[in-house]
Amino acid sequence: MRTCVVALAALALAAAAPALASEQHPTLNELEGEVMCPVCHTTLDMSDSPAAKRIEAFIAARIKAGDTKSEIKRRLVANFGEGILAAPPKRGFGLLAWLLPLVGIVVGGGALGFGAWKWSQGREPAVAVAGPPLDPELERRLDDELRRFDG
Amino acid sequence: MEASAASGRRPIRVARRVATGLALALVAGLLALLVWDVMHKESAQGFVNQIAAGDDPAAPGFSLKPLNGGGPPVSLASLRGRPVVVNFWASWCAPCKAEAPLLERAYAKWHGKGVAFVGIDANDFAGDARKFVVRHDLSFRMLHDGSGSTLGRWGLTGFPETYFIDARGRAVDHIGQQIQNESEIDTGIRKALS
Repeated sequence: MRTCVVALAALALAAAAPALASEQHPTLNELEGEVMCPVCHTTLDMSDSPAAKRIEAFIAARIKAGDTKSEIKRRLVANFGEGILAAPPKRGFGLLAWLLPLVGIVVGGGALGFGAWKWSQGREPAVAVAGPPLDPELERRLDDELRRFDG
Repeated sequence: MEASAASGRRPIRVARRVATGLALALVAGLLALLVWDVMHKESAQGFVNQIAAGDDPAAPGFSLKPLNGGGPPVSLASLRGRPVVVNFWASWCAPCKAEAPLLERAYAKWHGKGVAFVGIDANDFAGDARKFVVRHDLSFRMLHDGSGSTLGRWGLTGFPETYFIDARGRAVDHIGQQIQNESEIDTGIRKALS
């Protein structure tokens, strides 16, 4: 049990460490994929427009000045609005964009499960079909034959 | 026995109807959103086409903060009663640099005759834009639209673009590219004055 807890804690730390490093020391490359070019409506890494180049230069300067990723994004949002971020914010109306796919998966999974359950309930179990009763004489002869066969 | 089975099936039937209703409502909502988006884009582009056709459509409004950060937001409605030249620009836009002296000269020529000039710096860092204004010695009113929220309504497809609005708030002329010479501005202003 203790080993399991230690392993889980190590796994959580291993996952958190890169995220923390990315927040404290962001790179231009990763931010280029998270920030939009306001003129071309693609991420910066997909655009060669002068507006995109200017924003990239701004990000590079802020990284050099030691800003964290959140600080850089905050500065960009203050000037260009929320639309400058490629991903919607995880609050307010933007939270819907994060939650709706999860709700869709849960509801879809539930509906599928319910449908499968209903389908299995609706099926009649296979019942052996009993034929008409045999003639007693025929039944006796059949039993004799079977006894002879077994013997 | 049959009655209890039937009553057991009723909630399932209701749940199925509710789920179908919700799914239909979702599809209808998405469809309405798509139609609204298409209509919105068409009406913005229609605005520019109407100017070109000489229909003098009502100019879409704006309410934006001054670029220098001081004072209350300025709206187009507050300038009603005199012709207005609205120029959309950004500091990173090379053609905007080229036409800046022409606009300043036109402003010097016309502002004493009651013509208002408004520069709207959009999709730009306010700091860069302020440096641009100083570097090009621009003295007319400058507003800042960092998010570019006004661009769609005005049907902009790039920078720079210039609109000429008459005293009643109708757009009478439009230059959809870099201004090449001062006479283009004069022509637009004369239309707005007539």
